[in-house]
Amino acid sequence: MKTGFYLRLAIDGMRKNRRLYLPYLLTCAGMVMVFYILTGLAYSPLMDSIRGGMTMKVILLLGTIVIAVFSLLFLFYTNSFLIRRRNREFGLYNILGMNKGDISRILLWETLLTALFALVVGLACGMLLSKLAELFLLHMADEKASYALHVEPKGLLAAVVFFGAIFAVLLVVSLARVRLSKPLDLLKSEAAGEKPPKANWVFAVAGAIILGAAYYLAVTIRQPLTALAVFFIAVIMVIVATYLLFIAGSVALCKLLQKNRGYYYKAAHFVSVSSMAFRMKRNGAGLASICILATMVLVMLSSSGCLYFGGENAMRGIYPYELAISADSASPEDCTETLREWLLAVSREAAQGSESDLQIYTKLETGGMFRDGELEMERFYEDRSASELENVRTVYILPLSDYERLSGRSAALGADEALVWSSGKAYEGDTFAVKGCRKLRVAGTLSELPFRSEEYRSVTTSYAVFVPNWEEVASEIAECADSGQTGRGLATVTTVCGFDLPGLDGEEQIEIENRLIDIVEADMIDGTIPTEVASVSYKSRADGRSDFFSVYGSLFFIGIALSVVFIAAAALIIYYKQLSEGYEDQSRFDIMQKVGMTKREIRSTVNSQVRTVFFAPLILAGVHLAFAFPFVQKIIRLFGVNNLPLLIITSCLCFLVFAVFYVIVYRGTARTYYSIVSAVGERRAV
Amino acid sequence: MSILEVRDLKKIYTSRFGTQKVEALRRVTFSVERGEYVAVMGESGSGKTTLLNLLAALDKPTAGTVYLDGIDLARLPEKDVAAFRRDQLGFVFQEFNLLDTFTVEDNIYLPLVLAGRPHGEMAARLEPLARELGISELLKKYPYEISGGQKQRAAVARALITEPKLLLADEPTGALDSRSTDELLSLFAEVNRRGQTIVMVTHSVKAASRASRVLFIRDGEVYHQLYRGGDTNEQLYQKISDTLTVLATGGDVA
Ligand SMILES: Nc1ncnc2c1ncn2[C@@H]1O[C@H](COP(=O)(O)OP(=O)(O)O)[C@@H](O)[C@H]1O
Ligand SMILES: [Mg+2]
Repeated sequence: MKTGFYLRLAIDGMRKNRRLYLPYLLTCAGMVMVFYILTGLAYSPLMDSIRGGMTMKVILLLGTIVIAVFSLLFLFYTNSFLIRRRNREFGLYNILGMNKGDISRILLWETLLTALFALVVGLACGMLLSKLAELFLLHMADEKASYALHVEPKGLLAAVVFFGAIFAVLLVVSLARVRLSKPLDLLKSEAAGEKPPKANWVFAVAGAIILGAAYYLAVTIRQPLTALAVFFIAVIMVIVATYLLFIAGSVALCKLLQKNRGYYYKAAHFVSVSSMAFRMKRNGAGLASICILATMVLVMLSSSGCLYFGGENAMRGIYPYELAISADSASPEDCTETLREWLLAVSREAAQGSESDLQIYTKLETGGMFRDGELEMERFYEDRSASELENVRTVYILPLSDYERLSGRSAALGADEALVWSSGKAYEGDTFAVKGCRKLRVAGTLSELPFRSEEYRSVTTSYAVFVPNWEEVASEIAECADSGQTGRGLATVTTVCGFDLPGLDGEEQIEIENRLIDIVEADMIDGTIPTEVASVSYKSRADGRSDFFSVYGSLFFIGIALSVVFIAAAALIIYYKQLSEGYEDQSRFDIMQKVGMTKREIRSTVNSQVRTVFFAPLILAGVHLAFAFPFVQKIIRLFGVNNLPLLIITSCLCFLVFAVFYVIVYRGTARTYYSIVSAVGERRAV
Repeated sequence: MSILEVRDLKKIYTSRFGTQKVEALRRVTFSVERGEYVAVMGESGSGKTTLLNLLAALDKPTAGTVYLDGIDLARLPEKDVAAFRRDQLGFVFQEFNLLDTFTVEDNIYLPLVLAGRPHGEMAARLEPLARELGISELLKKYPYEISGGQKQRAAVARALITEPKLLLADEPTGALDSRSTDELLSLFAEVNRRGQTIVMVTHSVKAASRASRVLFIRDGEVYHQLYRGGDTNEQLYQKISDTLTVLATGGDVA
């Protein structure tokens, strides 16, 4: 009986406040859903059966952790907002003779109902959608999928335990809040804290400086590897600065505008500026959160999307041939015709006639600092300054005979003459020298290589130098490299034999690769492998692809999943902001009308304020994204995707999609806002 | 010529779906001369606020006309109404209605800013007014930092700073303690003595007894009126009380 009473009060309260509770309930359910989908997928037996499943599992679990932490923070935020709104009602109950124990009981029921709804609806939707998510993930990871529905008990358990714990903690916090409050405070708490905002100049200026510094860091990053650490610091700085700017900076700006009498005491600015100061004081943190969430969504989606969509191209860069076998030799003298014959033989034996576009060539690869037409061979660049790193070159020395054979053109070069190709801008200068070793005259430059090169390492520029007397030149350079202080093995000699396998799918290609490996191993065992071969390596594009897409497919998948959650969270924050703004503006709306503002004037000032408040985070997020751009570009280049136009397109597209979504949310919530604000007139009419 | 003329004013409130009708004013007719201080008395719910809202063109009458300084408010185009209200009328409310996002000073400036006056002129007008109302010290404070009486004086300053033709007050003493009530009433008397026309609606006998004329409304009509003539405040107070007693017992006033 008594229990039923409190339950009914709880249900009543939630129904009366459905404007507040419905979105909250849906968000809770949505978080449970995404959480279940990710953990369910991570623990799914599928991960053990597919290629790259382990990597995928790790990425999914990382995503789960992000979702978990975020859910915790976010539910705390929304719950405290709800409680603050409800306090008035509780204060009334209290004054009407209910004690805090009774109110606690109502709260208990409310939390139980919320948790029940969130878990039941969230898990139900999660189970239904997890299959869809699985298909989507497998599609992106380029894997075949089965269509059986599968419920993952570990995922269910994790979701129930984790969210059960969150709700328990939320309940404890709410109870403590009620216990500590006085009835009159409960009644007043909604209107409390109406103190005028004070400009905190220190924080405002600090915010601007920190943001500037963070932007500077992000833009001046050169080395992608050290960049990761720097960028992490920059991210933290940006987050801090965003909060400072929205909380303190905005108020300071309003105060500054108020000091400027000529500006402030104008009909168009007067009301806007002064109420904006109040608005920002109350909403600064929420807006900053929206801004950060938006930035995260944008950076995540644009980078993982670019990686994913740029993957195919990157694969061609990293794996120029569908299948390639390379043999390293100890010295250039070892690159004999026997070696080539053997490479061709094993390739043909493995491919069994399905190969095409077969190419074979020999190269000596080295690298170092390149200045004034002279290369100083060097292996480690870490302690170099950014400007010096610009001078790093990868250099291939190749036989002119390979050029002539592969291109079908002949070139008559004298001794110590060379043809030079550059991956960057065309080679300038008449000579190419290796310091302390050999100087070559550049007889001409090439705009294209006669074979497919591995152009993924495009972080640095590379040169290909074709010489007629390759064995002699290469030997000399190899000797120089060996005698240098930087250690042995600086110059490597490799013969590459690569070909395509048209008409074969990924699995068949991998089969051929395996066959090739078997053949080579058999040759090693029975000793028929030429003695010139020091080591053998294989590169299969199909193999690389499946690794690549299991990583970047799942990264993109997580990016999308997280974005959905973040966007939902941002939408809820916006919605709650609009609600509370609406309630606060009700009375103001009324007064302004009595003092002589037309409805139109009021509407337009309120409109412009609301718009400024809600679009500021979007715009700042866009600026953040723009400044993160150089870094994102470098990071994804590190992953082999070097496609600036694609990155620009994905970034702009992400921003556009997000902006459209944001506008939709804004429109929808603005309607709620106006219905609340104009409820003044209706109430009077009752 | 009268500054305000109200003829056969009628107001019927209809609920949203037209199912219920409330007749707040049936037939109100009266006029106010320049420089007068008129109190409109009536029970709670007798339609006093409704009447003021109609005088200020915040609402439209169901029938009847309001002439303010010869202008028919109903004929005023919608876009001019707000400006008219701002420039010609001053408003004081029971619940002060100060904007909590403004300082006292900015609250008072509000109508002038809306009218597009330069800051120098606003400051020049405020200075003597604030001194007179005793709020010079409070100008930089926010509404939440000052007392009810002080808020009401700030609201009066906001109503007077446009030098309105007519000052309208809706139960201005309703939310004040007795000391603040006395202060405010003296203020009104003083403002009126300098020529400000005032129409104040109230159900407080004390407030009404400071006026130069008292109108009584009941059942949506002006039922009776009293002129101060040469009476002192105390004498007028007595007369109003007597009238109310007769009204309450349902009798007719001769
Ligand atoms: N907006 C409105 N809609 C419907 N009825 C109203 C409205 N405003 C006032 N009333 C009704 O009109 C009558 C007069 O109200 P009001 O003018 O506020 O009286 P007073 O100010 O004298 O207390 C009351 O019965 C009140 O309920
Ligand atoms: Mg009233």
